[in-house]
Amino acid sequence: MRLPRFEYIEPINFEGALDLLYIHKDNAKVLAGGTDLLVRMKKGLLKPKIIISLKALKELSYIKKDDSYIKIGARTSIADIIASDLIKKEACALFEACEKIGAVTIQHYRGTIGGNILQDNRCIHYNQSAFHRSGRQPCHKDGGKICYARDASDRCNSTCQSDGATALMALGANITLVRKGTERIIDLDNFYTTDGIMPFAMESNELLKEIVIPIQGGKSSYKRLAYRSAIDYPIVSAGVFLKSSDTSKNEIEDARIVVGAIARAPIFLAKASSFLKGKKFNDISAFKKAADISMDNASTFAVHNVGSTLEYRCAMVSEMVFQALKEAAIVTQE
Amino acid sequence: MSDYAIIGKRMPRVDSRAKVMGKAKFTADLKLPGMLVGKIKRSPYAHARILNIDTSKAEALPGVKSVVTGKDTEGVKWGVFAYTRDQEFIQTQKVRYIGDEVAGVAAVDEETALKALDLIEVTYEELPAVFDSMEAMASETELIHGDFPNNINVHVNIDTGNVDENFKKAHYIREDTFVAPEESYFQAEPYAIVARFDHEDCLEIWCPNGGPHMKSKPLSNAFKIPLHKVKVRKIAIGGAFGGRSEICPVDYICALLAKKTKKPVRIQFTREENTIATRQGHAMITTHKTGVDKDGRVLARETTCYMDGGAYSSTGPIATSVPFLSMEQAYRMGSVRYNGYRIYTNKPIRGMIRTHGRGFAAGLDTQLDMIAEHIGIDPVEIRLRNSRQPGEYTSTKSYVDSCAMDETIHKAVEKSRFKEKWGKLPPLHGIGIGTNSVQTGFPMGIRGGSQSFIKFNEDGEATVMSGVVDNGQGNDNMLVQIAAEELGLLPEDIHLVSADTETTSSDPGSYSQVSTFVGGHAVKIAAQNCRAKLFKVASKVLKVSPDKLVAQNRLIFVRDDPEKSIPIKKVVRISLLNFNSVNAEGGYWPKVDMKREWVKNPYGQMCEAFSFGTTIVEVKVDPNTGQVEVLEATAAQDVGYALNPLVLEGQFEGSIAMGGQGGMLTEYHEWNGGRCINPTMLDYKLPLACDMPPKINNIIVESVDPKGPYGAKEAGMSIAMSAAQAYSAAVSNAIGVYMDSFPLTPDKILAAIKSKES
Repeated sequence: MRLPRFEYIEPINFEGALDLLYIHKDNAKVLAGGTDLLVRMKKGLLKPKIIISLKALKELSYIKKDDSYIKIGARTSIADIIASDLIKKEACALFEACEKIGAVTIQHYRGTIGGNILQDNRCIHYNQSAFHRSGRQPCHKDGGKICYARDASDRCNSTCQSDGATALMALGANITLVRKGTERIIDLDNFYTTDGIMPFAMESNELLKEIVIPIQGGKSSYKRLAYRSAIDYPIVSAGVFLKSSDTSKNEIEDARIVVGAIARAPIFLAKASSFLKGKKFNDISAFKKAADISMDNASTFAVHNVGSTLEYRCAMVSEMVFQALKEAAIVTQE
Repeated sequence: MSDYAIIGKRMPRVDSRAKVMGKAKFTADLKLPGMLVGKIKRSPYAHARILNIDTSKAEALPGVKSVVTGKDTEGVKWGVFAYTRDQEFIQTQKVRYIGDEVAGVAAVDEETALKALDLIEVTYEELPAVFDSMEAMASETELIHGDFPNNINVHVNIDTGNVDENFKKAHYIREDTFVAPEESYFQAEPYAIVARFDHEDCLEIWCPNGGPHMKSKPLSNAFKIPLHKVKVRKIAIGGAFGGRSEICPVDYICALLAKKTKKPVRIQFTREENTIATRQGHAMITTHKTGVDKDGRVLARETTCYMDGGAYSSTGPIATSVPFLSMEQAYRMGSVRYNGYRIYTNKPIRGMIRTHGRGFAAGLDTQLDMIAEHIGIDPVEIRLRNSRQPGEYTSTKSYVDSCAMDETIHKAVEKSRFKEKWGKLPPLHGIGIGTNSVQTGFPMGIRGGSQSFIKFNEDGEATVMSGVVDNGQGNDNMLVQIAAEELGLLPEDIHLVSADTETTSSDPGSYSQVSTFVGGHAVKIAAQNCRAKLFKVASKVLKVSPDKLVAQNRLIFVRDDPEKSIPIKKVVRISLLNFNSVNAEGGYWPKVDMKREWVKNPYGQMCEAFSFGTTIVEVKVDPNTGQVEVLEATAAQDVGYALNPLVLEGQFEGSIAMGGQGGMLTEYHEWNGGRCINPTMLDYKLPLACDMPPKINNIIVESVDPKGPYGAKEAGMSIAMSAAQAYSAAVSNAIGVYMDSFPLTPDKILAAIKSKES
């Protein structure tokens, strides 16, 4: 398939990129790898006049420890994150998520963490060619008023399938968004909207600069399910974070359970997470219960739109959460 | 048989280097001077009447050189057989699936061609559509093709007699129904075609094909020009798997655009077009009823299969027969009745595929396992009690000469340690066996044989001409190996001119698994004839009779006195100086029953040889996710004789990927009405290299067929079929539930585990 025409600009520094975004706003799209953007453009889902490539912005490629934070430049390659001992030790969920993104060839050659967490939501009825979408009414995300995934739905039910987003949300990460002259920091919990058409709270003149993960001394894990072992989006995923109490090492002081690839955004499951507070790390039945609560709460958002069957994906929410909790607990106790 | 110099050796393929280096040229790489880009306007509706087509705006667009519609086709229709000609090359009356061709455009570049497509205004009246075979048969709405009641396109009926009587004698009878949805080929190379008319009004075509002569004749018919004026050229091909064996509308449209514009035109399919607008494998609903005696020998079988054929006939009568034929070849049956119905639906067109009838075959084998369990024998034993033996006739009266089915079973069982593992594996581990047979050729009338020409060049090298096409399976190498062996040359001395309809004689093509058996055979005979000429000259020089000579390693020498030799190059030169030609021809025609016909008379000699294969697979199922981990796969096939074990192992492993790992675990199409939801490689779950079993054992079994060249027969399809059967058997064994809906995706496996628990 053919890319529509566009103007390609490769700013040589961060300021230059911000200037371009300031000028072109909605007419421009940022290219940070392209595995999401270019495919959508080929399908005619997106026709930006200008592509601003971050290829030359080496300054946005870094992983560093700053006090009790890990800071990751938005343009950092997936391969660099996988290779980082710091990430593996302090943010294992992100390491595990990155290992699953695309394939080795995509991880080291194209894929960036910024690109991964800013990938658009997906749906088997929306991510199709212009030909496929012809001869029927456009769906909500395509500018119409119909949802093909859920009958009579008045809104878009597209799904966020970013591995990185689910893991980072479990890790309590926030991101730094910059526009010419100002910058703001926003929690991922608040960054992901529940709007399938506009899944992020981000302005068209903003650029993602940095991802910040707090080092909280806890352990995290990420599990996902797909049909293939590579080049496949998850059909359900779970990122969890567990922290032991300072006084009793076998007691869970803080827990965060996030489920991905099931709804319009990664969902932080407050009820399931708080259920685990005060529970013991070796309390398998508590993990099972938390996993079931996760499934009950997350399933209400799910629609059949990313492959497999809805029933299976919902059932697997529980399984992925349970597996992730078990792994995080084992690591904590080691 | 082991004194061959080149045959039987592990030889890297002659085409590998260019392909691995990215230097091989495929159709989409072709650039001809002045070449235009063609695009197809397709129907966005599954079933609709065409009320009007207005091409005026598209024609007015600068850069557009031609727009063609059904008006330009003179009403010609395509169908493999005279009685299945149901597809106009460009639709004039109505469209029957999403993707049906309604117009073609040639323009100076792709962007202009795509713009022109949008400017073609087609007015449709939508009609009710049907999307599965049961619904289509029961439908009271407008028939997809007016002259086919109940939308039944093809009915194949085979009855050996005595079926009902034998069921009465049976000790145990089972009837089970198995379903599998449609699948796709996903050839590495999406379809592409370049066409041009030269200064003598000859049509030249480059495209992936299952046989160049299978393309040229229908095109000469369609354009009403002599056959010699259609020149299908050789080009590297990235896979066929049965999906490229006939012409399709785009071939005609591309040529028509070239004719109208008097320029070369290239049409390159998107991955989506390759999926929806070429061919797919049939979705099938198959009911097997089997009656056995107390030892588990099949006395009677009745099989009824409903195949979703899509919008047009394609290879319908063949496709409706092959799943049954594979099983009647593999297993003896006291009596059998088969009713295969191919049903029209408003979905893409279904054709031939390497794993023909995955649900059909896996269903039959699943039922055999159920019967074995009932009478208390293991899956190996019941197969051995029913397996085809050499010297028998199949139910449809084909004589089976070479047959090492039992040897493939024994060797696979031994290698996989099936007997030690059966019934003794840990929970959720399973092992399963599948056996199958594939025909080496179909009756194809005057196109059933192949002829080859060989000429020696004055430098002592040889040029071999053959109609055989290489779809990626290694046919070019096969021809080179045979010629080098027979001529006494090295593979690099052989120059192949093949798959070109201008310079080569008629050939059946590769799609009936017959390239080696027929095409390779023709080259072998031609090379032997050519060698005889060399020996005649050499015998005078060496002063021994020709029957004492051997040709090997570029030399002709005396068998019992190898020191007495002469270089082949020298023999060629002496020959030319003495006014003797050094070229020869050879041909091979399999002796099949020409009266056998797919629908009217499905009895008689089908082909000269059949291959037989066994696959055994060991799996582990995750009870929490339903995901399957394949621990080991063992494939054993009776290939007759292995011309090149390296190529065969590649075929076996590819077969396990296509038939087993993909075909039985992950691959199926999803639909929204007639819209294919997963037409691309991202959404259609083809297995990747990293998904493959960590251990694959390849076992080559050689029955040395008396008719095949060096004893060789089919070797690229049987494992794909038995792998599907083995994967399903292994999963069923692991979870303790006989599965009847394929492929075995995790959701189905998990549901089966849960239902068993409750």
